Amino acid sequence: MAENTNLRQNSKARVSIGILITAAVLVIVMGTVQYWFASSGIKAEVEEHARGELRVKSLEIKNVMTAAEVAVENMVWVVEQNLDKPDSMYSITRRLLSDNDGVIVGSAVGFEPYYYREKGRQYSPYSYENGDEVIDKQLGTDKYDYHEMEWYTETMRTGQGHWSEPYFDENGGEMMMTTFSYPVHDKKGKTVAVLTADLSLEWLSDVINKRRAFPSSFNVVISRNGLIIVSPVDSLILKYNAHSFATKNNDTVMQRVTKAMIDGSSGMATVKDPKGKKNYIYYSPIDGNTGWSMAVICSDQDIFQNLRQRNFILILLMIGGLSLLVFIISRSLNTFVKLQNVNAEKERIGSELLIASNIQKGMLPKIFPPFPDRDDIDIYGSLKAAKEIGGDLYDFFIRDEKLFFCIGDVSGKGVPASLVMAVTRSLFRTVSAHEASPERIMEQMNDAMAEMNESNMFVTLFVGVLDLLTGQMRYSNAGHCPPMMVDGNDVELLQMDSNVPLGLMMKWKYTVQEAMIAPQTTLFLYTDGLTEAENSAHELFGEERMIDTGRKNSDVESSEDLLSAMNDAVRAFVDGNEQSDDLTMLALRFTKNQAVIKLQRSLILPNDVNAVPQLASFVDDVCEQLDIDPSTNMSLNLALEEAVVNVMKYAYPEGTKGEVHIDAKASDKRLRITITDSGIPFDPTAQREADTSLSVEERPIGGLGIYLVRQLMDSINYNRVDGKNVLTLLKKLG
Amino acid sequence: MKTTFKEENNDFVMYLSGRLDTATSPDVEKDMQVLMDCEGHNIILDCTDLEYISSSGLRLFLNVLKNAKSKGSHVYIRGVNADINKVFAMTGFSNLFEFK
Repeated sequence: MAENTNLRQNSKARVSIGILITAAVLVIVMGTVQYWFASSGIKAEVEEHARGELRVKSLEIKNVMTAAEVAVENMVWVVEQNLDKPDSMYSITRRLLSDNDGVIVGSAVGFEPYYYREKGRQYSPYSYENGDEVIDKQLGTDKYDYHEMEWYTETMRTGQGHWSEPYFDENGGEMMMTTFSYPVHDKKGKTVAVLTADLSLEWLSDVINKRRAFPSSFNVVISRNGLIIVSPVDSLILKYNAHSFATKNNDTVMQRVTKAMIDGSSGMATVKDPKGKKNYIYYSPIDGNTGWSMAVICSDQDIFQNLRQRNFILILLMIGGLSLLVFIISRSLNTFVKLQNVNAEKERIGSELLIASNIQKGMLPKIFPPFPDRDDIDIYGSLKAAKEIGGDLYDFFIRDEKLFFCIGDVSGKGVPASLVMAVTRSLFRTVSAHEASPERIMEQMNDAMAEMNESNMFVTLFVGVLDLLTGQMRYSNAGHCPPMMVDGNDVELLQMDSNVPLGLMMKWKYTVQEAMIAPQTTLFLYTDGLTEAENSAHELFGEERMIDTGRKNSDVESSEDLLSAMNDAVRAFVDGNEQSDDLTMLALRFTKNQAVIKLQRSLILPNDVNAVPQLASFVDDVCEQLDIDPSTNMSLNLALEEAVVNVMKYAYPEGTKGEVHIDAKASDKRLRITITDSGIPFDPTAQREADTSLSVEERPIGGLGIYLVRQLMDSINYNRVDGKNVLTLLKKLG
Repeated sequence: MKTTFKEENNDFVMYLSGRLDTATSPDVEKDMQVLMDCEGHNIILDCTDLEYISSSGLRLFLNVLKNAKSKGSHVYIRGVNADINKVFAMTGFSNLFEFK
């Protein structure tokens, strides 16, 4: 059993682990696939987003720059028209400022050396915003020869518009600027001056970084030389060249990126920041003539944070679901295993019940006919148990030419009932072994059962004692259903006193009743399984149908025939409906025949032991008549002497006088000796038998007499009839 | 019923003949008093001529045995016939006595 349980638990564990592993693999695969799809989707989306941002920012910047370019180009025309009025230049530069308030913060017209002779080598009217006012001054000074400056030289050289590298203006603006320069031509088409507009880049940082794609993403703009123009880190602006910075730091990826940016390409790269975190860089040139390039830098953390969180939650949910699943499966496996155990247990109980049922049936007499060598009694019984074992019982045996029999029904069903049934049957045997009165048998059984009745079970019981010599039946009934007497003419139920069932009332005085059973009469006993047999319409078989069946079969010639007739009637009545209660029946047919008497002798003795020799010659005479062998002759002598001496000693107390009548009657088959006296009631059959296995010291001197009678005769029977003790001894002949 | 007492080879021997039944046993009981003082002697009950014995007779035999045993003597039964032997067997006396 333990091994089985282990096996089952092992296989259960194996199944559980198998399911767990399968499900875990599924979860991991699903999570990975989901994450991969989601992350590549997000990556594409981020790239799209970044490129969109780059495009938008680029356009915004381009718009501002172009506006400045257009304004300058338009103003160049005004300058060219007024070349002859050098002093009007301030009004032009001021106009450029006022027309582009907030964007163009300074403007100058730088003439070639000595363009106006009267103005000297450097003539460069310059207007710039200083707070709310506009200040005019000459840009060129001794310390600042603008003819050397890039914005001038480059513009003069190319003859085209030029954007300077961003720079920090320390001459008044105190801000980051870039300067757009445009050549001014005289009427002959010669470049004579450069008109500049200083573009404040204060707005640039705002434009670039006012909106960000992700919480910690940032944008960087570098100039065409790699100078950092916009960066979240202010200290880097205009101070570092991104490309040189990357080169210095040996950052090959950044080197490649900054090179590409300087070259004006678009692209994307993955870099690790100094903390080792992954970042994505999307870059693209800014439209227009500035040669600037912008990069959007997003951290991997930012991009995938949500996804990872979601994935984490998803996996948690999946693991939760998985655990739930495992729990449910293991529970149902448990239930399954329990069910298996319960089934095994049921099987075991079932087989034990079957064994119990067999043991129980084994207790009841079941070989019929039970007394094949007797011609005075014909018994047949049957017990058909309902689905399981029940508490019906019957029993019978013959002692001293008396048939002791009983039939009973224990309350309830199943094992408890069967145990009580077994106890009842044993008690019946034990008590009736030395007790011949049914009411006293009943009382002793009742007291014994009531005393140990912990569970308040009770037994209805009918006990009968049939004197096989006379046909006189004495019976006592403890609440059992009345037996039916069937003789050749009619059927009647036995009269019943009402007594309580056994086991309920300690010391209850049971009544005894008597009936004469005529030869060829069948006594039919049953339990309520018969009268309460139910058909499919829930009708009961009932007493009426039982009596009817008895009546129809009143001429049966054996107890077996009556029983099978009753069986057929019940079976026909229930018509296949399941039997709900034990069905127990017992039929006793008294078949005593009047034998042909071959010999009849009698002898009357006084109650004096000295008359024993007379008895001996009486016996010798009878034996001679019947041609009985000397050994049996001696046995009869001994038995008779013991029986008669017993009567003389005990039925007639010392000093009283009386007679002992001895009658011998013989048929072909048996010799019957009846000893009758008028003394006090004395039943020798009720005496305890001598124990012949005791040692010399323990052995009582007396008590052997009745023992010898039992040993020597085939049966002994006592009755108290009409105030006389009647002891009958039987010896089989031939 | 007749009894004869003899002392043979230091053994007390009682010869029983006839029917030892309830009627005769009181007399035999008196005859057997001689066997009671048996210290130093084994007892032999010779049943060769015993025709019949009832429980009264058996009772006497048992008395003799109980007395002898208490005095350290043996009781032997000699020459029982088949029928009487059957009675001895039936009553368990075969197990109590020693037979010669």
